[in-house]
Amino acid sequence: MTITYVLMQNLKRNPLRTLLTAVAFALPMAVFVAAISLVVTFIRVAQANEKELRLGVHHRVSLTIALPAGMRRKIEAMDADGTRLRAVCGMRWFGGRVPDTQNTLTSLAADADSFPIVYSDVGMSSEESAAWQRDRTACVVGSGPAAQYGWKVGDRVVLESTVPPYLSLEFHIVKVMDQTERGNVFYFRRDYLVEAMKSGGIDDARCNIFWIKCNSVEGMRSLQKDIDAKFANSPDETKSEDENAFAANFTQGSGDIPGLMRAMAIVVLVIVALVAGNTMMMSFRERTRELAVFKAIGFQSGRIFRIVLAESVMLALIGSVAGVVPVAIGLALAPVRGLRMGPVSSLELSPTAVVVSLVIGLLVGLSAGLWPAYQALRLRTVDALRRVA
Amino acid sequence: MSEIEIELHDVRKVYYKDRIEIPVLEALDLAIAAGEFVVLMGPSGSGKSTLLHLIGGLDSPTAGSIRVGDAFLEGLSERELTSWRSRNVGFIFQMYHLVPVLTAAQNVELPLLLFKMSSAERRKRVETALRVVGLTDRMDHRPNQLSGGQEQRVAIARAIVTDPRLILADEPTGDLDLKTSEEILNLLNLLNTEFGKTIVMVTHDPRAASHGRRTLHLDKGAFQREELTPPRNREAAAMAAS
Repeated sequence: MTITYVLMQNLKRNPLRTLLTAVAFALPMAVFVAAISLVVTFIRVAQANEKELRLGVHHRVSLTIALPAGMRRKIEAMDADGTRLRAVCGMRWFGGRVPDTQNTLTSLAADADSFPIVYSDVGMSSEESAAWQRDRTACVVGSGPAAQYGWKVGDRVVLESTVPPYLSLEFHIVKVMDQTERGNVFYFRRDYLVEAMKSGGIDDARCNIFWIKCNSVEGMRSLQKDIDAKFANSPDETKSEDENAFAANFTQGSGDIPGLMRAMAIVVLVIVALVAGNTMMMSFRERTRELAVFKAIGFQSGRIFRIVLAESVMLALIGSVAGVVPVAIGLALAPVRGLRMGPVSSLELSPTAVVVSLVIGLLVGLSAGLWPAYQALRLRTVDALRRVA
Repeated sequence: MSEIEIELHDVRKVYYKDRIEIPVLEALDLAIAAGEFVVLMGPSGSGKSTLLHLIGGLDSPTAGSIRVGDAFLEGLSERELTSWRSRNVGFIFQMYHLVPVLTAAQNVELPLLLFKMSSAERRKRVETALRVVGLTDRMDHRPNQLSGGQEQRVAIARAIVTDPRLILADEPTGDLDLKTSEEILNLLNLLNTEFGKTIVMVTHDPRAASHGRRTLHLDKGAFQREELTPPRNREAAAMAAS
C-alpha cells in the first residue's frame, strides 16, 4: 500500500460526490479546451498574417467609406524605386452569398494583376495564376465554403451581393485555398465587378481597402506613416495598419471573439475552482478527526498538507482529463468546419490548448485544495481529538 | 522496582479561552515504571485526557518537565514530537478512527508507511499485529463490515504494529458493550503482561479500571488518591471476561 493508493481510495469515500465534482470539472473543461483551441487559432492566424508584411490602407473614418481607385497609383508613386513596397492591390467588399442561403461570405473583389503578388501566401501555382489572369470570372475560394457547398476547382458558382448594387455574378473557381486563416474568404477579380456594375449603369471603381505588400518591417512602418501623412486633411484621409492590427480591429468590431473566449474561460475556471474548493472543504471537515489521528500516529503536518492538496489535484486531473480528452479526440477526428468568427473558419485540435487546459486544471486543483490543506496543516491534533470525546 | 519509564515533574497545563486562564493540571508529579498498566480516572474536566495527551506528546505542558524513556518532551519541536510519537507511542481512541475506505490490514499498515520498510516486511508486521488481536480472518474486511469490538481490535493492532514501548488508550471501551469491553481490556492486559508494553488508560468505568495495576484518581487537575489493584482482582476481572 502507498499513500497514492490511500488517496485514490479516499476519492471512493463518497463516490457520488466525487462523480458530481468530476463532472462539474469535466463539462467546463470541455468548453475550456474548445475555447482555448479557438484562441490559439486566432493567435496562429495573427502570427501568420504578421509574417506577410501586408499593410492595409482604408478610410480613416470607416472601412465602409470607399476610396478612389486612383489612390493605388499615388501610393505606388510614393515608392517608385520599389525599396519599400512590392505591389498594391485594391479591394472592394462584395458581400456575396450563395443564392437561397443566409450566410454572407467574406467576398472581395481584388486587382487581378497584383493579387497573386500581394497574396503570394495563397500559394497559386503557375497554372492557377495563369487561369486567374486569363479568365475574368476567376475566383479563389476558402476551404470553408468549399467544404460547405461542395465546391471544387473548375466549378461555376453564383454569388449574389447583399450590398448595393445587389449584383448576381457567376464565377469560375480556379483555386481552393487550404489555409486556416483564409478559410472563409472568396476572392475574385475587381475588373469583373467594375465591368458588371458599369453594364448596370453604375460607374464606380472605388475600393474599400488597398493592401500593400512590403519588403521589410521597417519599410512597412515608414510607409504607414508616409501614406497617412500624404492623405491627411484630404477628403480621403486614410488609416494604415498592418494585417495583424487590422484583423484584431475587424474581429473586435464583430464582437472581440478572442476576448470573449478568454473572459468565458476565466469565468469557467473561477466556477470550477469554487466547486472543487467547496468539495475539498467538505471532505476535509468530514475527516478532521481522521486527519488528527494521522498526525497522532506520526504523520508530519507537511505530509498531511500534501495529502489533502494531492487529493484535490487528483480530483481536478480526473475531471480535467474526462473533459479535455473526449473533446481533443473529437476535434482530432472531426474538426468543426464552417465557423464564421472573423478570419477563423474551422476549429481543429490544438495540442497547445490540450496541454494548457490540463495545466490549468492542475492549477485549479491546487488552488481549490490550498485552503483545506492549510487548515489541515494548522490542525491541532488535541483540539480535533477532543471534539470526538 | 523496574526503571521509571514516564516521569512528570511539576507539570502544569493552562488553557486560554477568550483571554481567560483555565488551569487544567496543577503541579503534577508522576512516575510510571516500564511495563506498568496505569489507569487514569476522574470526572469530566478533571484533566485525565489532557494528561494522556501530554504523556503522548500530542500537547505541550505550560510548565514542568515530562520524560518518556530517554526523551524530554518539553524540549522537542512539533516535528520532533511527531517523529518521536511514530516510533514510541501507540494510540487507541474511544471511536477507533479507522479509515473507512481501507481494509483492516491496510488500516493497520498505515503507521508503517512512515518507515522505510519493504512491502513484505510491512505485510509480516501487519499479520503479526492482527494475529495478536485475533483478527487474521478479518484482514480484508472494511470497517463497516466489522463489529465495534472488532474495529477497536483493528485500532489496537494499528497501535502496536510499530512495536511502541508505550500504549495510550483514551476510553477504549467507552463505546462498547460489557462483554466486548472485557475482551478489549483482556487484550490490553495481554499486551502489558506478555509483551511488556507500558499502558496508560483513561476510563470512567471502575470495572475497566480493575484491569490496571494502579489507578490514579484525578480531580480539578490534581491527583486525589491512588489505588493498587491486587493481582487476584485482575485475574478475576480477566476470568470474568473469558
